[in-house]
Amino acid sequence: MHIDWFVFLAQIFNFLLLMYLLKRFLYGRIIKAMDDREAKIAARFAEADELKTKAEEEALLYEKRNQSLNEKKETMLNEATLAAEAKRKELMEKVRVEVDAVKARWQDMLIREQDAFFYDLRQRAAKQLYATARKALSDLADADLEERIVEEFLRRVQSLDEEKSTQLRKAISGGGNRVTIQSAFGIPAPRQTQIEEVLKKQITNGFTIRYLQEPDIVSGIEMRVNGHKIAWSLNEYLETLVESLTETLQKEAHAA
Amino acid sequence: MEIVQLSQISPDQVVLWSWSFITINVTILYTWLVMAILVGGSILVTRNLSSEMNVSRWQHFLEVVISVVRGEISEMTKKGADSYVPLIGTLFLFICTSNVLAVVPGYVAPTSSITTTAALATCVFIAVPYYGISRNGILHYVKEYFQPTFIFFPFHVMGELSRTLALTVRLFGNIMSHEKVIGILLAVTPFLFPVVMQILGLLIGVIQAYIFAILSLVYIASALSAEEEAHHTEAKKEGSAA
Repeated sequence: MHIDWFVFLAQIFNFLLLMYLLKRFLYGRIIKAMDDREAKIAARFAEADELKTKAEEEALLYEKRNQSLNEKKETMLNEATLAAEAKRKELMEKVRVEVDAVKARWQDMLIREQDAFFYDLRQRAAKQLYATARKALSDLADADLEERIVEEFLRRVQSLDEEKSTQLRKAISGGGNRVTIQSAFGIPAPRQTQIEEVLKKQITNGFTIRYLQEPDIVSGIEMRVNGHKIAWSLNEYLETLVESLTETLQKEAHAA
Repeated sequence: MEIVQLSQISPDQVVLWSWSFITINVTILYTWLVMAILVGGSILVTRNLSSEMNVSRWQHFLEVVISVVRGEISEMTKKGADSYVPLIGTLFLFICTSNVLAVVPGYVAPTSSITTTAALATCVFIAVPYYGISRNGILHYVKEYFQPTFIFFPFHVMGELSRTLALTVRLFGNIMSHEKVIGILLAVTPFLFPVVMQILGLLIGVIQAYIFAILSLVYIASALSAEEEAHHTEAKKEGSAA
């Protein structure tokens, strides 16, 4: 086997040259490109990791925020519900008060109307009763009754106590010494004299009597002296009767 | 009929031009051709290198080759893999390209010349102490020759020489013999069978390139510090245990 030493050295040189050229044009560039890519990928991974971490943090933050918002919402909803309930109660109360007031007003009005009605009814009933009784008594009146009335009047005058007599005396002297006697019927002269005597005896002298016939005084007689009055008539009884009747009607109405 | 051409016996014998001691034969010519292909291809591919995600197919191909070479080297040497890439990578690429191009009719692989394989083995023979000394210093490197005792020095030297010779002859013998076999088979059975042998030749060519590169790497790695080797062995043991 022959070895040409020039070729041998030339091949060593060729190999070294090839090594240099490949190092220059292949390995250096390729390795650099690969390293660069690796670095880029690593950087991207790092960036991705960072972004992921950030995203996770954000997600956590949002979740927390969401949760707090939900809680807030819940609280607000509860508060709103409570407030609405309170408002509803308040309004209901207000309405109830208003309704009560309206009801009270209405009842008041009703009572007033009722009162008015009963008053009217009472008045009418009393008037009617009064008119009927009066008519009946007027129809029944006669001389005998008139006599008895005068007697009753005289009995009253005579039974006056000292105080009342003094008052009347003062009244007569203050009223210009005038006494007015009114009656539903005409008083005969002897009776007028008797009345005068009794008055003079019981009260005082020195006055003049004026006799008036007044049909409104039902079967009665009355003496008027400057604001003072001594009387007897059926009118009093009638008025008492009417009052009693009114009272009874009212009680009946309220019971109803 | 000429069964085997002269270039197929030894491309060194086909002298194209000579002047004084300067000889340009087919071996040198095809070596230049392979160099031109490798360098030209590298320049073409690496002209528009991209460090982005979308890269060209050729760049992918070269990146895969370089990655495999880097991976192998870093597995052996553990650190500083990039400083061995030019030597190991060039050995692999040059031998592989030389062998694979043998399918082209009229081409004779430069590796079928013992001059070329001897030159390559000599490069490795020089590279081993170069890397060993540059990594650990001359004293440490020389000390390794006297391990475990000084008696082993001649054996270490013989080992160095014999493995260089082995590298030379292994590659030369495989490629040369393959070409001889193809030549003879063409004469005996001209159809189909030589095609199968050619395919087998491609496989052998790539395997031989790989073996040459790996052995060179092993020699270089063995010249690195004993401490590192120990560490490496331990790590390997751990790896295999796992």
